[in-house]
Amino acid sequence: MDELTREFLIESQEGLDRMERCLTDLETRPGDAALLGEIFRSVHTMKGTTGFLGFKRLEKLAHRGENLLGLLRDGKVVASRGVITGLLHLLDGLRAILKSIEGEGSEGTGSDEALMEELEALQAHRGRAESTVAQPPAAPPEYPEPESGRQPAGQSAGPAEPEVQAPTLSASQQKSRPAAEQPEAAQADGGKTRTQSSAGTAESTLRVDVTLLNRMMNLVGELVLTRNQVLQATSADPRMTLLSRRLDMVTADLRESVMKARMQPVSNIFSKMPRIVRDLSQSLGRRVHLEMEGQDTELDKSLLEAIKDPLTHAVRNAMDHGIEPPDVRKMAGKNPEGALKLRAVREGSHVVVEVSDDGAGIAVEKVRDKAIERGLITPERAAVLGERELLQLIFLPGFSTAAKVTNVSGRGVGMDVVRTNVEKIGGKVELDSRAGKGTTLRLRIPLTLAIIPALIVRSLSQSFALPQGALSELVHIPPEKAASSVEWIESAPLYRLRGRLLPLVFLSRLLSPGRECQLASDRDNFIAVLDADGRRFGLVVDGLADPEEIVVKPLSAVLKDIGLYSGATVLGNADLALILDPGSIALKAGITMNSEEEAAARVEENADENRADFLLVEVGGRRAAVPLADVLRIEQLPLARIEYVGYRPVLNFEGQLLPVEDSGGILAQAAGGASQDAGFADSAQIIVVVCRDGSRHVGIAVSHVLDVAAGSDLFEAGSGVQAGGVTMLKNRVIGVVELGSVAPLGHGAPAQEPWTQSAEVQA
Amino acid sequence: MTAATAVRNERLQAQVELCSVRVGKTMFGVPIGHILEIVGSARPQPVPLAPEYVGGLVHYRGDVLTTVSLRQLLALPLCEDAQDILVLESEGGCFGLLVDSVGEVLTVSPADYEPNPSILERRHSALLAGAYKLKDHLLVMLDPERLDPMRLAEELARR
Repeated sequence: MDELTREFLIESQEGLDRMERCLTDLETRPGDAALLGEIFRSVHTMKGTTGFLGFKRLEKLAHRGENLLGLLRDGKVVASRGVITGLLHLLDGLRAILKSIEGEGSEGTGSDEALMEELEALQAHRGRAESTVAQPPAAPPEYPEPESGRQPAGQSAGPAEPEVQAPTLSASQQKSRPAAEQPEAAQADGGKTRTQSSAGTAESTLRVDVTLLNRMMNLVGELVLTRNQVLQATSADPRMTLLSRRLDMVTADLRESVMKARMQPVSNIFSKMPRIVRDLSQSLGRRVHLEMEGQDTELDKSLLEAIKDPLTHAVRNAMDHGIEPPDVRKMAGKNPEGALKLRAVREGSHVVVEVSDDGAGIAVEKVRDKAIERGLITPERAAVLGERELLQLIFLPGFSTAAKVTNVSGRGVGMDVVRTNVEKIGGKVELDSRAGKGTTLRLRIPLTLAIIPALIVRSLSQSFALPQGALSELVHIPPEKAASSVEWIESAPLYRLRGRLLPLVFLSRLLSPGRECQLASDRDNFIAVLDADGRRFGLVVDGLADPEEIVVKPLSAVLKDIGLYSGATVLGNADLALILDPGSIALKAGITMNSEEEAAARVEENADENRADFLLVEVGGRRAAVPLADVLRIEQLPLARIEYVGYRPVLNFEGQLLPVEDSGGILAQAAGGASQDAGFADSAQIIVVVCRDGSRHVGIAVSHVLDVAAGSDLFEAGSGVQAGGVTMLKNRVIGVVELGSVAPLGHGAPAQEPWTQSAEVQA
Repeated sequence: MTAATAVRNERLQAQVELCSVRVGKTMFGVPIGHILEIVGSARPQPVPLAPEYVGGLVHYRGDVLTTVSLRQLLALPLCEDAQDILVLESEGGCFGLLVDSVGEVLTVSPADYEPNPSILERRHSALLAGAYKLKDHLLVMLDPERLDPMRLAEELARR
């Protein structure tokens, strides 16, 4: 295929995508001249180029479409539902030919007669329009609607309203005026700004081949590795500090830029949904209101591609199984029009894409019966499963709850495909459903494929990388407590974590069967508490190394089949490390979500209002609490990393400026110590708790991190008024850090009331 | 075809270039066309729970390469020292072949070639691809396709 044709294909596809968006919009705003103009332009441009390239079939079809669109634009045909359906068919027809050109290099031999006749028939309405000239156009149009569900008359006649004519006008005037004036007016207001802005984008943007971007991403990955190695190799040499810090910053910036270049807004796939919803609601007889939120949330191009099918699947499912037919909804006392909501939002290093409906929800009993009927699970096993685990059964291959197989879904290839596709890119699928209330499917997608933060752990004198996404906390067990910490129920090792039993998996034993499950009494032991799809367990490792941002390298199929590793990476010290897959470890160790834990989770959920977890820290001899939900991570870093903007300490954190709150005077103290002893300055370490406050991040310098504990609210004696700023932790009243009081950068004002001053009273 | 070109073709066919490698006491030959690169004295990172023939992982040009241990395949005692790695290309992608040392490039004639003898054990005949009779010893041929980790896994499953 030559360059010209390829260019044409890309452009036409973009044009058709735009047209599709406009067409679905047109349904709600049938008279929008700007929309009509846009649609007309897409088809017109395409027709022009096809003639030039000699695609006769395409040209003929586009020409026929252009005729109809011209009439629409000129207000001679009203954009009724039937017309829009016809235009959508035209769109599909054009797409099919483009696809054939792309695939086989020719237009194919299919016949477009039926489609062209359909368009012709729609055009025929014009005749009637002309014959009714004597009537003011504002009168309800009397065009026959090929399909049910016509638009309200006032709305469809909207655009013609300013053109209301005296009934005495002659036919020729009537014909020429809207044709000449209306589009002109439309172009004058909407058209001018659009052409300007599109010219601007054309000059400042550039099409880049995705393979080139992939290659750039790989190279940046290599650079990140090299940087890690340089940083480790030069950390001892003070002359190199400045250089390596600069390398660090430039690498971080470069990485971010390349990643940004690969980012695309989710609107790219969201925009396909209105059409799907429209078509499905017609064929299924549903009434659905589609709402979309967070369309400008960005995601890596390859990830976006990967979630396209799962998302479409989820929408289809919601329409078919979720939202009930209007009469059923009415009987249930709901709005006959169902609500389908698509939402994308960024949460930390993930993007969450949600599909929620207010339909019938999933009946857990039906799921159970179906799973038993299909032989996916034994009745005995089903009896012991909790509600949440039963719900998970719909992700099993070959499961379908649809009472009858429909065109849309219910062929038993549904949710398992959704799950496999999302997990393939390192994402997670969560399902929430309440019978009668609706269902929410949540796709949790990592921001990038290639680079993830990980904790490096040691076992069998080898390094392994543990993705931080699954890591919820680390427990340190000193040698003297090793013997008493692990408790056993027969052969199952357990650890009592804040009063609850946590199943333990010994990494060394898992990797080298035959080893004993025992904590070493001659060195420190660590338990990494992992949460893999709701399965919590503790992974016992021999040692911890620093957290690192690792570049994920794929493994060969032979090693992937072992089922414990999701990839490999090269560490800062040039060692290779295998990346552990928490989900597979849980599976291998036979850990499932047990009902007890689930019950506890439910209790926690209920008690949520007056209980919250806090991170207990010590700041300059005092204790303070930071709401755990706001804590992003805890960083131990050299004092030299802290820089100052004026008198305010700041931290260059992953390429972003982080204000550091130091009301405890820890930084000043450490810096004082450092100035007295030059050797100390290089080695001094400080701990910064990185927190989220609304949309911004702040750091808090602390002396020690003590524990995580659940706090409860306190009420003033007598008045019963909830006391703000304090919480009850471990039977002591502890001041809660007010993140909001940390002054934003650039405003300069220090926190008016340092929170460490808050009362600490023995309860 | 003239007689002259026929002769030239024959001579071209005669040009078989092999890279000789040593494992234990045996000399093996690998067709040079399959070799991407030779990495000297490497210490692959072991992979717990991997099939036995996997010699570990090495970092190779930004990728993580799975290696196959020829010693393990031939049931020789494992080598404690650093080994050389031949980076080979096969249908399934690239992999590394761990050998004791890499020798030289030899040019041999197809006339000296003989297929695997019938008395060769099955597990060996599955790996080896005949031998060239050199002046003072035999050069046993290795077929990269048969050493591909994926193929080895299939072979193992069949056994």
